[in-house]
Amino acid sequence: MAEREPVIGIDLGTTNSVVAFMQDGTPTVIRNRSSSNLTPSVVALSKTGKMLVGQIAKRQAITNATDTVYAAKRLIGRKFSAPQTQDAVKVLPYTLHAGEHDDIRITLGDKQYSVPEISAMVLRELKLDAEAFFGQPVRKAVITVPAYFNDGQRQATKDAGRIAGLEVLRIINEPTAAALAYGFGKTVNGKIAVFDLGGGTFDVSVLDVSSGVFDVIATGGDTYLGGEDFDNRIIEWLVFDFARENNLDLRKDRMALQRLKDAAEKAKIELSNTKETQINLPFISSPPGGGAALHLQKTLTRDKLEELCGDLISRTVSICEQVLVEAKVKPTDLKEMILVGGMTRVPKVIDAVKTFFRRDPCKGVHPDEVVALGAAVQADALTSTDSEVVLLDVTPQSLGVAVAGGYVRRLIPKNTTVPTSVTEIFNTSKDDQTTVKIMVLQGEAELAHQNELLGEFILTGLRKARRGEVEIDVTFEINSEGIVSVSARDRETGLQQSIQVTASGGLTEDELKRIMEEQADMLLEARSGEELTAKRAELKALMKEVEGLIPQLDKATQGSEFGRDAIAKAKTALEAARKAAEGPLLVRVNESADTLNRTVSLFKGVLERIK
Amino acid sequence: MADAEKVDIPEDRQKEILALEAKLSANHFEVLGVPAGAPAEQVRDAFHALSRKFHPDRYHGRELGSFRARIDSIFKRLVEANNVLTDPDKRQAYFDANPFVRAAIRAATGTNPALKPQPAAPKSAEEEARDAERRARLARHPYLAKVSKVQENLARARAHMEKGEFSHAFTVLNIASQVDPQNADVKALLSDARRRAEHERSDADYKRGMKALEEGNEELALQAFKAAVNISASNHVAAFEAARLLEKSGGDPKEISGLAQKAVEAMPTKVEYRVLLGRMLDASGMKALAKKHFEEALRLGPDHPDVKKHVKKRWPF
Repeated sequence: MAEREPVIGIDLGTTNSVVAFMQDGTPTVIRNRSSSNLTPSVVALSKTGKMLVGQIAKRQAITNATDTVYAAKRLIGRKFSAPQTQDAVKVLPYTLHAGEHDDIRITLGDKQYSVPEISAMVLRELKLDAEAFFGQPVRKAVITVPAYFNDGQRQATKDAGRIAGLEVLRIINEPTAAALAYGFGKTVNGKIAVFDLGGGTFDVSVLDVSSGVFDVIATGGDTYLGGEDFDNRIIEWLVFDFARENNLDLRKDRMALQRLKDAAEKAKIELSNTKETQINLPFISSPPGGGAALHLQKTLTRDKLEELCGDLISRTVSICEQVLVEAKVKPTDLKEMILVGGMTRVPKVIDAVKTFFRRDPCKGVHPDEVVALGAAVQADALTSTDSEVVLLDVTPQSLGVAVAGGYVRRLIPKNTTVPTSVTEIFNTSKDDQTTVKIMVLQGEAELAHQNELLGEFILTGLRKARRGEVEIDVTFEINSEGIVSVSARDRETGLQQSIQVTASGGLTEDELKRIMEEQADMLLEARSGEELTAKRAELKALMKEVEGLIPQLDKATQGSEFGRDAIAKAKTALEAARKAAEGPLLVRVNESADTLNRTVSLFKGVLERIK
Repeated sequence: MADAEKVDIPEDRQKEILALEAKLSANHFEVLGVPAGAPAEQVRDAFHALSRKFHPDRYHGRELGSFRARIDSIFKRLVEANNVLTDPDKRQAYFDANPFVRAAIRAATGTNPALKPQPAAPKSAEEEARDAERRARLARHPYLAKVSKVQENLARARAHMEKGEFSHAFTVLNIASQVDPQNADVKALLSDARRRAEHERSDADYKRGMKALEEGNEELALQAFKAAVNISASNHVAAFEAARLLEKSGGDPKEISGLAQKAVEAMPTKVEYRVLLGRMLDASGMKALAKKHFEEALRLGPDHPDVKKHVKKRWPF
């Protein structure tokens, strides 16, 4: 083989992007044309009609707010009608429209762009920087996304790569990439956690590393929790006070909003090093009735910032808790704890992480660059024959099918190592049902319509038979490229249908709910849909037990206040349980069972002691 | 079989892939190449070591031909084995459901993995509720009264059995047993049909193995014999053949003794089986157990050539 073709790793960030490659066995960042390691993920149409990308686009954002697109990552792969998009519309100075399929369109000048097209401009800029560096064309890349990106968001990111002229070898998760960069070439053996709080998203992952093998055990996060939410809290605080004093909402003025945004971000960054900072925005607005221009001048202290953002930080901690439970590890089992993302410079965030993980996070790799470096490591591992690195990645969200009653039957649970395939037998849910509809869902919600619909197809020509008699094999497969395919096979005739999930169906919750209702007659019945029946029986047994204990407790406590109180509570719980047992929701049944279990142990404890 | 293919994988690795693929129907421990009963730590280390060789990413962008599917199914199988054996609940459930894995652990370690304490009461209540629901659902149908349906299915099943179509019979009986789980005729016939269907399939695999052996393809033969044993642990001839082949190819004595153990369990009076099991246990360092089997072999057939050859020399009692 001739000189090996260069492959790059790209961290396509919410605020900044970074490109890296493997240089003589060491991952290295490629500087952009303005000699900076970070390229702002900003695209703008200048007043002269030129398309600007990166630093130069960011610099003119204030004077050209409506034609400057930033934070496109928050929109990629989403639907226009999604609540997150609607929230974004309110705070973004540029204009969003709904496209034909409820996709998001961004207006720049007189042209409309899809979100992947905008992201592609950033990617193309990075590609050009890399090509200038190598002096030859670059075609292959690994791109990172937040671990909690769903299939639609990943596909859209891949599309962006394709539009930019890149063959995307793999989409990998940011925290995983960070671990790759951190653990690469070292003799780290054991479990490590990665806490990644970036500009727009929050991710946390637990990996088991042993000499070159990076085994992801669990991953979780929130695609709408990041530095910009901290900025928005500061903006709200500024705007609220300003409105009270001047009776004017600054957010309605796009230019003012852009200045507020910049000032808030700057103040937040400064407060990582100082105890207080001045926010100075002269001539921010002029009063509607005319008169002297208004200025905004305020002092923000670190304490105030922590008060404004306290709940955001506790949200990150509760997500960490959840992921550690899923990984079945305790904070003390961890060998290392890695911080990623600019937001992990905020002292309060570091404190919270230290307290939760009970250890000092390790430093060493630059938090802004570590993700791109990891992407370069994986790009090298995929293309070179002598790499020692193997990444055992997992599915971040569960996959399943919609079953009769509007529920989900999960075939591939979250945190399953890919590639993987699972087959399960389903039955028809109606008499003489000759057609079944297979709706492929992604997400953790119990009810089908609260999950993301990835795709759907129909299997026809089933034998007319009584409900439950015809059996259908449903197979889910995720290959090593992360592509999901689903097939259904009639066990009697061998007839088969399948789909490969390539693009997001991405319907809104309401749409999905409507479709679910319309198609109620065509769904499958899960064999273990009987789980609900079983749990109901369990709950009813518990109800009997509590009912039996009430008179005993009454007698034992002799009508004391405690007894009366406990019995009243138990009766309320019984009433709730009765409702749950009649209802269709497994979650409710389980909740009620938990409550009654507690009641039983309380009552028994009391009776024990009184005896 | 892959001769004509142009595959961008070194020859040695191709052989390793084919060898592991042939082993995929074995139990989780064997697939990962760890001793039966190995602790979770050891299982995970083996999984990581194998991932380094068999993860599909190691072959990204290469010409793989039929090896793509092989590597994929190997890795999926490794993940499954690792997932089950490193999760305490899944591991326990696996032992509970597979008595011969338990036997293999007993043979390899001399200890018996604890049986899960049966959560009898709530389990049966749950099952009963489930059964009741199923029965009610079927009985609700006005056109198909339970009795006639069961009788009809029984008749069909008997006809299938007579024709030797045991898997068909099993399917029909399964439906009948869901309609009326108390029916003694159905129950008896069902277990009979299941056993015979398994035998049938196991026997077919055994024959396939013998044919391969005649043609001199020992690797294929071994694979077939193992498949036969997996379907029906009581197929002692297949277990014995598999063990012998494995010994011939210099396989792991523990794996061989696992197979020999199955043969002995299914047919305790066969001298050859005892002698083989004894020798393998001896080779794995379990002298006491080996001695027990040798003594038994000596008692069963003092003049058997195998006994003369292997036992009398080593255990001159």
